[in-house]
Amino acid sequence: MTEPLKVLIVEDEALLAMELESLVEEAGHSVVGWATSSAEARSMVESTDADIAFVDIHLTDGPTGVDVAHYIGEKKRSMVVFMTANPKRIPDHFAGAIGVIAKPYTMNGLTSALRYLQEGVRRPPPVSTRPAGFTLSPAFEAVWAPAA
Amino acid sequence: MDWKRTREPADAWHMTDDLHVEHGKGDPFAAAIRATRMSMIITDPRRPDNPIVFANDAFLRLTGYERHEVLGKNCRFLQGPKTDKEAVGQIRTAIEDKADVSVDILNYRKDGSTFWNALYISPVSNDKGEVQFFFASQLDVSDRKRSEHRITADKDRFEKAVKERTAELEAALEAQTTLLHEVDHRVKNNLQMISSLIIMQRRTIKDEATRHSLTTMLERIEALSTVHRRLYQSKDVSRFDVSDFAKDLVTDLLTASGRSGIKPKLELDPIVISAEKATPVALMVNELVTNALKHAFKEGPDGTTAGRIGIKMSQPDGHFNIEVSDDGVGMAEANGDASFGMRLIKSLARQLHADIEWRDAGPGTKVVISMPNEPQQEGLSHD
Repeated sequence: MTEPLKVLIVEDEALLAMELESLVEEAGHSVVGWATSSAEARSMVESTDADIAFVDIHLTDGPTGVDVAHYIGEKKRSMVVFMTANPKRIPDHFAGAIGVIAKPYTMNGLTSALRYLQEGVRRPPPVSTRPAGFTLSPAFEAVWAPAA
Repeated sequence: MDWKRTREPADAWHMTDDLHVEHGKGDPFAAAIRATRMSMIITDPRRPDNPIVFANDAFLRLTGYERHEVLGKNCRFLQGPKTDKEAVGQIRTAIEDKADVSVDILNYRKDGSTFWNALYISPVSNDKGEVQFFFASQLDVSDRKRSEHRITADKDRFEKAVKERTAELEAALEAQTTLLHEVDHRVKNNLQMISSLIIMQRRTIKDEATRHSLTTMLERIEALSTVHRRLYQSKDVSRFDVSDFAKDLVTDLLTASGRSGIKPKLELDPIVISAEKATPVALMVNELVTNALKHAFKEGPDGTTAGRIGIKMSQPDGHFNIEVSDDGVGMAEANGDASFGMRLIKSLARQLHADIEWRDAGPGTKVVISMPNEPQQEGLSHD
């Protein structure tokens, strides 16, 4: 049994963060923090130990999600997955993130993504099929080339 | 400005001799040159600085000078500050080369006013080929030049106006696109919230029937979510790729059902429909697939269910066809518990101007939907 993931949620909408936390926990993982702005996110990256961070582009201090991804990438503390309704705002190189889960995602879409990410983080490359609504960055596409 | 050489046939030179006329007052050729309305002068290159040795009345009228003011002078006095140096150079070169030249040049009258001079100069040589004189005629083409300038100015003004307008339109389009993405982002977030609220509520409910109701609701909303996730992502925001959407939808529904024995069979041509059709099509396909999942398959003796759900999308001849089929129990044995779902399907079919038919597929059922669709566009890209 692969070790569960420790997840940091960076999302400005409380309702969505709550539900995401429930889904993450139902899938057997744990949530180590929830940030709503880039400033909060930066301090949480220091104080928590997350495997992956789900990062929305639009936060309470503006469209700063990409900056957060850069910051996390520099600190090399965890891997980033963007979670946004606006995937077009992500730069071509994805700021070093694994990829993006487009909103609105379905329950099944998210649980499949969690399984895929767990495989990719703990024992890359993932063996499950890439889930619907999940797009890999070019860098990770090359390394985690889909199983099917 | 032209710069051409002319060569006349040899016998043309002797036309004057053939007439056998006198020189002096009775000379018809001299009279013609003196009286003509065309401005003409003759210069003598054998004298220093190639001075004017003859100027007709038309020249004096054109330039505003008296005869005694021009004779003995080189005609460069006609040039002024705005005269194009290149044109002057062309004249100088032609005279040095003893060649004809035809050039438009800006000249100045005695009173300082300017005119455009269509100047023509040609050398006059004797039988030995030595240049004796230069003959020059002048024509005031100021009107023509003014027209040319006006046309060029109009053209430049027009091009500038077009460029400005294009920039305005591009900026407006960008603003609109940004706004569209903003609104779209709000809608997507809100759809996510609706799903979240239902899931949260469902967790708190123990009653199976109520949970089931909420699950059915969630499925419909997730169908809408799947549409919206893909909407406005392609270059043409008014069009929507149904085949990608159908793949996502079926995967979600089958996985969520947890019935691993039921396999999908997808035959999906890449078809694009207008954005406004995306939602009703999505809801309809969702109803048909969830219907099949609920009613079509009977549990086997080992407690598992096996079977196939097929979705086929094609576009024969200006139509868009969807077929949802299963290889399960068939219509006769199916549960009649479809009242709201069936009403929804039939209403959606009306909205899409679609014909819908339930057929016995022995085994199983096939539902065929056919609606009119616009022709596909070339070179559509998405995602």
